Amino acid sequence: MLKYTVKRLAYSVLILFFVMFIIYVLMYNMPSGFVETKARELASRPGAKKSYAEWLADLNAQYGMDKGIVRGYFSWLSNAVRGNWGDSWAWTIPVTEVFHTTVWYSFALGLASFILEIIIAIPLGITAARHQYSFTDYFTTVVAMICISMPTFFVATVLKYVFSVKLGWFDLSGMQGRDYLTLSQFGRILDVAKHFVLPLITLVIISIGGLMRYTRTNMLEVLSADYIRTARAKGVPEKVVINRHAFRNTFIPLVTMLGGTLPGLFSGALITETLFSIRGIGHASYTSMTQADIPFIMFYLAFISILTLLGNLISDLLYAAADPRVRLS
Amino acid sequence: MKSYNLNEALKAREAAFAGQRKDDGTVHLDDLSRVKVLSPGRQVFKRFIRNRLAVFGSVTLILMFVFSFLGPLFYPYGQKDIFYKYEPRNVDYGMVKENTAYTGYDLPGGGTVERAVNNKMNSTIKTMLSGGSDSGFIDGESQGYRVDKLADDIYQVSVSQTEAVCTYGSAEKDVGTYSMVGKKLTYADAPVEGLKDAIKDAIAKDAKGGTFELGGITYTYTRGKAKSYAITMPFEGVSYSGEALGEGFEAALKAAVDAGEGSFEYEGESYVAAKNGGTWEVSRLSASEPAKLFTRLTVSTYEVGRKVSNDMILAALQATAGNGAFEAEGRKWTMAREGDLWTIRDDAGQEFMELTPFSVRRYDGADTMEYGLKKALTEKAEELAASGEKTGTVTYDLPMQTDTGEYVHDDDGNVSTQSTELTLIQGQTGEFVVKCDQVIYVIDMFSSPSAEHPLGTDGDGFDVLSRIMYGGRISLMVGFVVVFLETFLGVIMGGLSGYYGGWVDMLIMRLVDIFYCLPSMPIMIILGALMDAMRMDTYVRLLIMMAALGIMGWASVARLVRGQILTLREQEFMVATEATGIRVKDRIFHHLVPNIMPQLIVQATMGMGGVILTESTLSFLGLGVKHPLATWGTIINSVSSASAMQHYAFIWIPVGLLICATVIAFNFVGDGLRDAYDPKAKR
Repeated sequence: MLKYTVKRLAYSVLILFFVMFIIYVLMYNMPSGFVETKARELASRPGAKKSYAEWLADLNAQYGMDKGIVRGYFSWLSNAVRGNWGDSWAWTIPVTEVFHTTVWYSFALGLASFILEIIIAIPLGITAARHQYSFTDYFTTVVAMICISMPTFFVATVLKYVFSVKLGWFDLSGMQGRDYLTLSQFGRILDVAKHFVLPLITLVIISIGGLMRYTRTNMLEVLSADYIRTARAKGVPEKVVINRHAFRNTFIPLVTMLGGTLPGLFSGALITETLFSIRGIGHASYTSMTQADIPFIMFYLAFISILTLLGNLISDLLYAAADPRVRLS
Repeated sequence: MKSYNLNEALKAREAAFAGQRKDDGTVHLDDLSRVKVLSPGRQVFKRFIRNRLAVFGSVTLILMFVFSFLGPLFYPYGQKDIFYKYEPRNVDYGMVKENTAYTGYDLPGGGTVERAVNNKMNSTIKTMLSGGSDSGFIDGESQGYRVDKLADDIYQVSVSQTEAVCTYGSAEKDVGTYSMVGKKLTYADAPVEGLKDAIKDAIAKDAKGGTFELGGITYTYTRGKAKSYAITMPFEGVSYSGEALGEGFEAALKAAVDAGEGSFEYEGESYVAAKNGGTWEVSRLSASEPAKLFTRLTVSTYEVGRKVSNDMILAALQATAGNGAFEAEGRKWTMAREGDLWTIRDDAGQEFMELTPFSVRRYDGADTMEYGLKKALTEKAEELAASGEKTGTVTYDLPMQTDTGEYVHDDDGNVSTQSTELTLIQGQTGEFVVKCDQVIYVIDMFSSPSAEHPLGTDGDGFDVLSRIMYGGRISLMVGFVVVFLETFLGVIMGGLSGYYGGWVDMLIMRLVDIFYCLPSMPIMIILGALMDAMRMDTYVRLLIMMAALGIMGWASVARLVRGQILTLREQEFMVATEATGIRVKDRIFHHLVPNIMPQLIVQATMGMGGVILTESTLSFLGLGVKHPLATWGTIINSVSSASAMQHYAFIWIPVGLLICATVIAFNFVGDGLRDAYDPKAKR
């Protein structure tokens, strides 16, 4: 197990190395004039401390643009490994500081939607599987399919239209009400929580369908297994059959899948956060991307890639942990 | 080998035994009613048809394709047709302004005036007005210009040759030079006693230069070339550059300067004194020649739209200084002054035009206002300016307009009029903006659904329904191209990987891992922002976006293909192909790939929905397909601002539902196909 984990980790680092290389090449090959434009913009900002030529040399040196792709990549990598990610161009503070101020909002949003998703989707999926071809089953299937098929921006816009514009229950976007500063500590928390409601609903709607279908499929498979028939044949009460025999076995793939999505809670919801102006890491990265903030983009992409690899690893390890029949090698 | 089809065999058998069947109700094993064998394709089709959701999906997709690809053929509008309409609006009709700037008219045969001098005219006239003087002087690059007031608001500029005479005021006067080489002091003027010793001492103290005092006067010495020093002393009074003109001239100069006047006369000649720092530079003017007239008066004719020649205006302006009679355009005119304005009458005594400090004009630049209207507006503006009010109204008969913005004519061909209220509002710079209701031609923005535009028009005056049709074309096309590309790449890579195994497999699968790990949405957003920065053509963007989506998406197809091939590779028919020596290429693409076709089709169908979602999201963010090309995402993006979203729900709701319906349909069909191909497969 330990050997396998170490092997997988080493392997992930290797993949990460190449992924970051591809991303670096993309950034490196940004059309000429892009860094120049940025340098000109930085130099013409009020209070700019460096001239255009100085900025240009500085930016080129910072990203190893003056060294050729391979050497430049290694110099960037050695900086990054030492935790030196540079200053964000769009936010004018160190990249890691941007990360610290934003990621917790994203995590809160992600965690809440994750919990809600589990609470809603798994029972629905199991019910649908128990009554296959019933109305509930069709209803759940169709709803799940609709949820999967809706574009995030449309869900968000509809929710805004109904709850903000027509009903006026929530603000259209943002994280704080206009009287935020006058509120007490507890009131402030409530205020932010209120602003998180619509993004939360959006996230739950777009992610619930997949989990629902997954639960249903796995449950169906388990229910058609021989040991379930045996259990029923020998007169085990239906409740026990479902809750003990069937659900425990459905649990294995579910845990595997959900464990794999855990690191994703930190990655932020790019579109949702942007549409609702939640100052999470998704929103920050979107702003950076549209403004060609290379330091932050490199950091964010590295972060996302690490999370993805970590998710795969956790998923595989959990698979072994939850199912004693699996041997890792 | 001859193919054997059970159905056909049964049919042949039935034909052979036709009429011999006993209708006794017994059923035989070879009875057609009992045995029916379907080909695998038909079987899949039948299972697919039985699935209601899949059928619903297929019908939706067919409708969507007909709508998007055939719809535009029968729909009269294109995606880039801009619609206009006539609408009564309170528009900026014209403006009334008291002129403060002076315009110049060239006098025929006059000298040329430098551009810089033209620019200085306004400030010079202002200075003259505030100083109450009737003449001024502008120092040009090569010659001088004399400005004379002809009458109120009318000034004449004349070109004069200038000749520097003297400077007056405090100046530095050259005393002499001291040379260190010969220890000699050369005086410029009268010798000063003791100066030589004083300068020697001073130089001994500070060789670079400085000051020393002698006889109550502070001398300044500066080091020049060849170790020599120039000695100067301060001087108050007149220093001539040529010959001295005597005390009478100096008295006249002092009098003029003390009075603050820039020019004076002395012995029949004009002199100009220009202040330069602490000194006055005095120059003599030679005979001047009139070159230009400057005035802030504008012409307003009694007859609408009558053009007046510059010659006539010049003649009138010159006549203001005389008795008011002049000749122009072959006729005699008289003019008289009433308050601020001059009225010019022809020889019959009929009013022809006015010279007035107020300019009244239409915003479109055309001079289509009646004299009476101009007069009324001017009077109101003067009244408002006097009372300090900001707004006022004037009612006047303006030409009547029809619903389509044309003027209404009566039977005699005259324009009919209608009483209209005009509002004057004072702007920031003191001018009055005249507003009134007019029927104008505007872009038909955000019109609600009507018979003409079933879904209304959007913010650019485009017909929303036609945009949706064309948008559907692009969205569906993007889906197809991208899915084709990723399937193509995926089959090749996955096929090679699965068939060869070993290091090829290792290499390709690591590549797949890397592409799995690449965050595709952020990369697409970066790419979009980049293409924004490069101002790329919208069609090129579309192609690049499709290519990028295809390249980002092949990894999952490759993984699927590889997995399938790994199981198929060990089966007997593959061993047979190997034994019969079929080429590797054919083995992969003729024997293996057709066997994974069902999975590929399912994957492609499901993938199509995903691609459409990604594309519409990118376009919604403004980073995918760009205006004026329509896609479903761009249409929603155009009304995504808070207020537009609120008021123009008739635009974005149908489009959003279309996106949902299409993606759902693709997913249903994909699901249905999977169930039909392999009913027992795990979903």
